[in-house]
Amino acid sequence: MTLSAYLALALILFCIGLYGALTKRNTVIVLICIELMLNAVNINFVAFAKYGAHPGVHGHVFALFAIAIAAAEAAVGLAALIAFYRNRKTVQVDEANSLKH
Amino acid sequence: MSFLSLLVFSPLLGIILLAFVRRTDTKTIQWLGTAATVPPLLLALFAFIRSGSGFRLEQLDESYDWVRLANLPFFTDAAYVIRYELGIDGLSLLFIVLTAVLGTLAAVASLLIKVEKKGYFMWLLALEIGMLGVFAAANFIWFFLFLEVTLVAMFLLVGKWGGFERERAAYGYLLYNGLGSALLLVVIAVLVARTGTANFALLHETLHNPVAEGQLIAPLTAEARYWLLGGLLLAFAVKLPAVPLHRWLVRVHVEAPPPVVMLHAGVLLKIATYGMIRFGIGLFPDEFRAFAGAIAVLGVINILYGALLALRQRELKHVLAYSSVSHMGVVLVGLGALNEAGIQGAVFQSVAHGLIAALSFLLVGVLANRIGTTDIHRLGGLAKAMPIFSGYLLTAALALLGLPGLAGFVGELTAFLGLFETKPALAAAGALGLIFAAVYSLRAILDITFGHTRERYESTLGLRGAKESAASVSEPRVIDLQAKEAVPAFVLVALIVAVGVYPQLLAEPLATVLETMMNGLGG
Amino acid sequence: MMNLAWVVPLFPLCSFALLLLFGRKWKKASAYVGIVATLLSLLAALGVLAGRLGGTTYEANWTWMQIGDVTLTAGFSVTALNAWMLVVVAFVSWLVHIYSQGYMAGDERFSTFYAYLGLFTFAMLGLVLSPNLLQAYIFWELVGLGSFLLIGFYFYKEEAKAAAKKAFIMTRIGDVGFFIGMLLLFWQTKSFDYDDIFRAVGDGTLSPGMTTLTAILIFIGAIGKSGQFPLHTWLPDAMEGPTPVSALIHAATMVAAGVYLVAALFPLYEASEAAMMTVAVIGGVTAIFAATIGLVQTDIKRVLAYSTISQLGYMMLALGSGSYVAAIFHLTTHAFFKALLFLAAGSVIHAVHTQNIEEMGGLWRRLPWTAPLFLVGALSISGVPLFAGFFSKDEILAAAWLNGSVELFWLAVAAALLTSFYMFRLFFLVFTGEARHDGDAHEAPMSMVGPMVVLGVLSVASGYIQTPWFGSFLGEWLTDGAYHHEAAPGWIAVVATIVSLVGILLAWLMYGKRTVPRDWLSARAPHGYELLRRHYYVDDFYRWTVVALVSFISRLLAYVDRYLVEGIVRLVTGTVSAAASAGSRGQNGQAQTYGAVTVAGLAILVVIFALTGGYWL
Repeated sequence: MTLSAYLALALILFCIGLYGALTKRNTVIVLICIELMLNAVNINFVAFAKYGAHPGVHGHVFALFAIAIAAAEAAVGLAALIAFYRNRKTVQVDEANSLKH
Repeated sequence: MSFLSLLVFSPLLGIILLAFVRRTDTKTIQWLGTAATVPPLLLALFAFIRSGSGFRLEQLDESYDWVRLANLPFFTDAAYVIRYELGIDGLSLLFIVLTAVLGTLAAVASLLIKVEKKGYFMWLLALEIGMLGVFAAANFIWFFLFLEVTLVAMFLLVGKWGGFERERAAYGYLLYNGLGSALLLVVIAVLVARTGTANFALLHETLHNPVAEGQLIAPLTAEARYWLLGGLLLAFAVKLPAVPLHRWLVRVHVEAPPPVVMLHAGVLLKIATYGMIRFGIGLFPDEFRAFAGAIAVLGVINILYGALLALRQRELKHVLAYSSVSHMGVVLVGLGALNEAGIQGAVFQSVAHGLIAALSFLLVGVLANRIGTTDIHRLGGLAKAMPIFSGYLLTAALALLGLPGLAGFVGELTAFLGLFETKPALAAAGALGLIFAAVYSLRAILDITFGHTRERYESTLGLRGAKESAASVSEPRVIDLQAKEAVPAFVLVALIVAVGVYPQLLAEPLATVLETMMNGLGG
Repeated sequence: MMNLAWVVPLFPLCSFALLLLFGRKWKKASAYVGIVATLLSLLAALGVLAGRLGGTTYEANWTWMQIGDVTLTAGFSVTALNAWMLVVVAFVSWLVHIYSQGYMAGDERFSTFYAYLGLFTFAMLGLVLSPNLLQAYIFWELVGLGSFLLIGFYFYKEEAKAAAKKAFIMTRIGDVGFFIGMLLLFWQTKSFDYDDIFRAVGDGTLSPGMTTLTAILIFIGAIGKSGQFPLHTWLPDAMEGPTPVSALIHAATMVAAGVYLVAALFPLYEASEAAMMTVAVIGGVTAIFAATIGLVQTDIKRVLAYSTISQLGYMMLALGSGSYVAAIFHLTTHAFFKALLFLAAGSVIHAVHTQNIEEMGGLWRRLPWTAPLFLVGALSISGVPLFAGFFSKDEILAAAWLNGSVELFWLAVAAALLTSFYMFRLFFLVFTGEARHDGDAHEAPMSMVGPMVVLGVLSVASGYIQTPWFGSFLGEWLTDGAYHHEAAPGWIAVVATIVSLVGILLAWLMYGKRTVPRDWLSARAPHGYELLRRHYYVDDFYRWTVVALVSFISRLLAYVDRYLVEGIVRLVTGTVSAAASAGSRGQNGQAQTYGAVTVAGLAILVVIFALTGGYWL
C-alpha cells in the first residue's frame, strides 16, 4: 500500500516532467522538466530500496548517483544554453535549427 | 599470381596508374585507359585458343579462404568459411572473351568522351573488372559482389557522363537493377544458408543429390525450389530485360555515353543470359521445365513488342534500344525451348547481339559527334558525305535484321531451331519478328544514309550549343569515319562476319557445357 | 573438275572484296576486275558442266555448326540442274559485267557498282551450288541483299530508297515462310540436306499433311523472291536500279531463284497434290494478272518488269503442272531474251535519257543495233515460231494441257496473247513512228552492243536444246536420261502461234499503222483501264490494310509502353517516394518530436505487453 503511494507520486511527477519536456518551447523549462523526471526516478529508487522485494542499500546509492549526475548535467546543459543564448538571443528549442538549414 | 585472378583484376593496375595522371592530360589518360584493357584481352584470347587445343579449363580453378567466421552459434561446424573462388568453363569463357574484346573497343571508342576523362576511365575499368569477375566467379557470393561492382560503376558512368536526362536514367537503372539484385541476394542467402556452400559445383551436387552424406541441413523442399528459381528468373528478367521490365534499358541506351552503351548492351545484358543458364538450368533443371513455356511465350512477346515499338521511334538510339529488347526476346525463346539447340541459340544470340549492339553504338557515337543529332527525321542522304560511315551503318543494320552470313542470323537460327522442336506454333509467331526487324532497321538506317541530302543539318545546328555550332560552322564539311574510329568498327564487323560464316567457332567451347546441362535436364 | 566447283562463286567474292577495299583507287579499272572474275567463274562453271557430262552427281560437305549430336553441314553439290544453272548465271552475269562498263561509265560510284555485282553473282552462284536447304536459305537472303544494294544504288533518290526497302521487306515476308518451312522440315527429317528430305518424303517419314504444309511455306519464299502474286509489288519498283541490274537480277537470275528452289525441291512438291495445285494456280494467276497490268504501263522498264512477273508465273505454272523440264527450259530461254530486252531498253534509255515510252519513238534508224536486237527479243518472248521463246512456251502450254487443268491452259494462252500485244506495243511506240523526244540519240558503245548481240543469238539458238524436231537434250540432261517426251497435241503449237501473231497484229494496228485508235480500250472501259493503270490497287490495298494495321498496333503499343508500363513504374516509385517524404516530415530535427515519438512507441509496446502478458517469442 505504501509502495503504491510512492509509485503513484513518482508516476505523476514523471508524467508532468515528460509533458513539459515534450511540449514546452523554452529550453529552461525543458531542463527543469527533465529534472522532474529524474526526481521521479529517484523516488522510485528509494521507494523500492525500502519496500521492494529485496530491501537494501543499493537503491539509495543509485539515487545519490542520479542526483550527482543530474546536477552535473544541469550545469552542462545550462552552460550550453547560456552560450546558445549569447549567440542567438533566444532560448526557444525550435529555433535551435541552424544545423538543419 | 593465378591466371584467372590476373585476368579479372588486371585492369586494376590501370586504375591505380590513372590515379597518378593529371586530370588535364587527356592524351595520357586515353592511352593508359586503353592499354589497361589489353592484358585481360590477351589473357582471354590465350585461354580461348588454348581451350581450342584441348586444354582443360578446370585447371584454372582458384580457391582461397576469404572470410572465416569461427564458432557461430547457428553453425555447429567449427568454422564457417566464405571462399574466394574463380573458375571458368566453355560458357563463361565465351562471355569473358566477349567482355574483353568489347572492353578494349569501348576504351578506344571513348575518344569521344571529353569531360572528366580520368574519372571516366577509372570507372570504365572498374566496370570491366566487375564484368569479367561476374563471368569468372565460381561462387555465388563473389558473383554477387562483382555484379554489384558493375551496378555501381554503371550507375556513375550513366549519371555523370550521360546525356541531358542522365540522372533520371541512372536512377532508373539503379532502381530496377537494385531491386533485381536485392531479389538475387535473397535467393543467394537462402541457398547458402540451406546448403552451407556458395560454390557452384558444390551447389550443383548438393541440389542434385539432396541426401548427400555429411550434409547438415535438410534438403530444399520442392516448393522452395520453385520459389528460388522463380526469384532467380525474375531477378535476371529485370537485367535482361524482359517486357514489361524494360523501361530502364530504353533510358540507359539513350542517355548513357555511347562507349558505355557498347559495354552495357554488349555485355551487361548478357549477364542475364548467363545467369539464367548457369543458375536456372544448371541448378534447377527440373523446375526450369515448368517455367519453360512461360519463358518462351515471354520471349515471343519480347520479340514482337520490341520490334513493333522500334518501328515508330524517331530517335536512332530508341530504335536500337527497342531492338535490344526484341533481340533479348530471342534469348528467351532459346531458353524456353529448353533443348540443346535452344540453349546454344540463346548463347549465340547473346554473343552476336553483344557484337552487333557494340557496333551500332560505336557508330551512333560517331554520328552524334559529327552531326550533333541522332534524330532520324533530321537526317538523310548521309551516304554522300560519309560513305564509309554509312557502309558500316548499313552493315550494322543488316546484322540487326539477321542477315545470313552475319552473326545475328546464327543466333536467331539456332534459337528458333530449338523452339520449333518443342513449340512450333509459338515459334512461327516469333519468326514474324524477322519481318519487323527488317522493317525497323532498314527504315532507320536508310532514312539516315539514303535519300536526299537536304540541308537538314542546318536546322539542327541552330539547336546545338553555341560552342559546338561555332566549331561546325568553321568546319562545314562532315568528316567521314576516321582511322581510329574505323579500326574498332572494322574489328567488330570482322568478328560479326566470322561468327556468321563459321559458327562452329562458338559452338566448340560450348559443347561440353551443353552436354552436362542436357544430362541434368534429361535426368 | 566437279570437286573444284566451289571455286565458281569464289571469284566474284574476291572481286567484291578487292573492289570494296581498293575500288576507289582503281576507278575505271574496277570493271576489268569484275569482268575477269566473272569470266573465270564462267570458265570454271563450264568445266563443272563438262565434268558433270561425263560423271554423276558430286557432293562434298563440311561441318558448319554442331548442336549437340546434330551436325549442320555446309558444302556444295553438282547435280545436272545446278551445273546447268551455274553456267546460265555465270554467263549472263559476265555479259552484264561487260555491258555495264559502257552503261555505268562516268558514274561516281563505278567501282562500288562492280563490287555489288560481284557480291550478287557470288550469292547467286552459291545459292545454285547449295546441297542443303539451310545453305540455300543463307544464299537466298544474300542474293536479296545484292538486289537490295543494287536497287538502292542511286541512294540519293527517294524513289530508289523506297524501292530498295520495299524489295527487301517484301522478299523478307516470303523468306520468313521459307524459314518456318525449313525449320519444320528439319525436325521432321533431322536434316537440311535435300537428299535426306527426299528420302523422308519417299519412305513416308514425312506425313502428307506436313509435306503439304512445308512445301507451301517454302513456296511462299519463292513467291516473294520470284515476284509472284500477291508478293509481286516490289519487282516493278525495283526498276529504280540501274538497268544492267534489272537485266541481271530482276530478269535473268535472282527472280528465277524461286523457280529454281521449287525445281530443286521438286520431289517434295510432287509428293503433295495440294502443293502442286497451289504452285500451278499461283503461277497461272500471276501470268495473266501481270500481263494485263503490262498492257497499260508507260515506263519501258516497268512494262518489262510486269512481263518478267508474268513469265515467271509461266514457269511456276509449268512446275505446278509437273513439268520440271519445261520450267527450267523456259527459265533458260527467258534468262537470255529478257536480259536482252532489258539491256536493249538500257541502250534506249542511254540514248534518249528517259524511260517514258510516250517520249520515245522513231528510234529504228537512230539505233541500228539496238532496234533489231530488241525486235529479236520481242519476237522470242512473244513466242513466234523458230525463236527460243516459242519452244519453251510451247512446252509449258503442253504441260498444262497434259496435266488436265484446262482452265489454267486457257489462262496461259490468254497471257501469251497479251504478252505479244504489250511487247509489240512497246516496240512500235519506241522504235517506229515519229520521234517524240528532243536531242539526238546515239547508238551505244560496242561494250554495250557486244553483249546484246551475244544474247540476241542465244535468244534464238537456246530454243533448239529442247525441240520436238531435234530431240530433248535439256530434258534428258536434267533427268539423267530418264526423260520421255510426252507427245502433246499438235494443235497446241498452232494455237500458240496464232495467238502470238494475233497479238502482234493487234499491236501493229493500234500503235504501228494506227487504224485502231489508241484509246479504244480506255475509252470503252475507263474503270478497267484505271484499274490496270493503278496495278489493281494492290499497293494501295496493302497500304490500307497490312501497313495500317501494323502501324496501328505499333502506335497502340507505344501508348501502352509510355503510359501503362511506365505508369506502373511511376506508381511504384511514386508510392515509395511519397512514403519517404511522409517519413522525412517526422525527421524534423526537433528533439521534442523525437522524444514524443519515442514515448508513443514505448507506450504502444507497453500496452501490447500488458495485453498479451509477456514475450511472444
